[in-house]
Amino acid sequence: MVAIEARNLSKRYGDFEAVSDLSFTIKRGEIVGFLGPNGAGKTTTMRMLTGFLPTTNGTAHIAGHEIFAEPLAARRAIGYLPETPPLYPEMTVLGYLGFVAKIKDVARSERKDAVDRAMLRCGLSEVRRRVIGDLSKGFRQRVGLAQAIVHDPPVLILDEPTVGLDPIQIREIRSLICDLAAPEQGEARHTVILSTHILNEVEAICQRIILINDGRKVLDQPLAEVVSGGHSLEEVFARVTSRDDLAGVQAGAAVEHADGGGANP
Amino acid sequence: MTHVIAIAQRELGSLFVSPVAYVVLTLWSVLAGTFFLSSLIGFDQQLAQASQYGAEAFLAQMNLNDNLIMPFYGSMWIVLLFLVPAVTMGLFANEKANGTDELLYTSPIRIWEIVAGKFLAGFAFVFLMTAIVAFFPGILFVYGEPEIGKTLTGLLGLLLVSFAYVAVGALASSLTKNQLIAFVLTMVALLVIGLMLPFIVEVGVGGDSGGSGIGIGPTVRYISTGPHFEALMTGVVDTVDLVYFAVVIAICGVMSKAALESVRWR
Repeated sequence: MVAIEARNLSKRYGDFEAVSDLSFTIKRGEIVGFLGPNGAGKTTTMRMLTGFLPTTNGTAHIAGHEIFAEPLAARRAIGYLPETPPLYPEMTVLGYLGFVAKIKDVARSERKDAVDRAMLRCGLSEVRRRVIGDLSKGFRQRVGLAQAIVHDPPVLILDEPTVGLDPIQIREIRSLICDLAAPEQGEARHTVILSTHILNEVEAICQRIILINDGRKVLDQPLAEVVSGGHSLEEVFARVTSRDDLAGVQAGAAVEHADGGGANP
Repeated sequence: MTHVIAIAQRELGSLFVSPVAYVVLTLWSVLAGTFFLSSLIGFDQQLAQASQYGAEAFLAQMNLNDNLIMPFYGSMWIVLLFLVPAVTMGLFANEKANGTDELLYTSPIRIWEIVAGKFLAGFAFVFLMTAIVAFFPGILFVYGEPEIGKTLTGLLGLLLVSFAYVAVGALASSLTKNQLIAFVLTMVALLVIGLMLPFIVEVGVGGDSGGSGIGIGPTVRYISTGPHFEALMTGVVDTVDLVYFAVVIAICGVMSKAALESVRWR
């Protein structure tokens, strides 16, 4: 079953093309690493999938719902952790997750359980009554993750979920992501797409990688195949994203490149 | 409706853990007490002077409603111009500054539900402010016999004016992510529609346009909040005035929604 299907996604800001003609399909239960150098268009793509940004062209299906025809159903199927966790610093963890459960359409009778379960999974139970603004960065990141899973969505879209965390916290978040995608009673539950530019993170948890550069897809393969030739992921990344390699193709577009290169979306 | 209430509840909760709500309510209460007292003293002096000079006709016309409660409401209305911007400045601007707009827009809720929730939170807050004001004329009922009808329509007027000002403030907040800009923008807008427009009419951009009722004078008068508020204070509940407030709120609502959408479609 297909969890995410992106078709010809494009986003243009004036003359600058942040994402161009990006298509991919992610099956249910997969953990996909969404890679690329800074400014490659990872965040823009995720924002288009979640409906935060409209596309200039193309569309996507989330768990079978087209994001423009059925925006509410598509958004209900998504748990999204943006680059900066969308937190209200003055709220308590409990109050915040309760609010998120309400706006994510968790039924009234199930809200308390949903919030408790999300807190348990993200290790937040002991800070439930603390004010979010007083929490450490690691805890805030976990609250962000709890927010994404509170309504138990089939699709998780995580934008740099481990950025700014210490090594132990990174390990915890990673194992949490693996747990989420693990099959339960033989059935795959969550599909995860996570962006990062930490390569060993991808090797640690992802089954497949999609690599984009300058808004274009340059690689889409299972991880095992990518590293099968004895190359490390780092070598592959460097080769595929190096500007020199593409010099021939892009000679004509050099001017455009110089204009657009500085404008990180 | 669950979404609208959830948004409004959260907004009010955040307002009441921030110092802004308490600063506004404290100032409002203190000023209400001060202005009530000064209106009371003013009333007393008028009464003393009128009886001293034996102005029977004037004395016969004097009453608690027109000579005490109305000036008091009028003073509180001026205070609104300065305090409502502080209440509304964060409504949308805060979401954008926090990055929490990304949570709202990626949740299965519609933009009008977000706007309605924010407006509702603002309305609830100014309702509380009006309730504080209501306490003071209440004192008069213990010691005197003001007209209840006029007292209540005046309060209704104050409440509707507050609602309209909240709508204007929310619109300003939807245009920026900087609370200070939202505050200044709201205050300028309120000073213009609240004080400057009536003033321009008074000074004489042109009174009535030959009795046709359509012209710059009456139009400007209709746009400003003052005359509608005054009508309600004098006990006249006219559909024209009620429609005015409904239209102001609706226009600001629609424009806020458009402003929120345009940021994403740019």
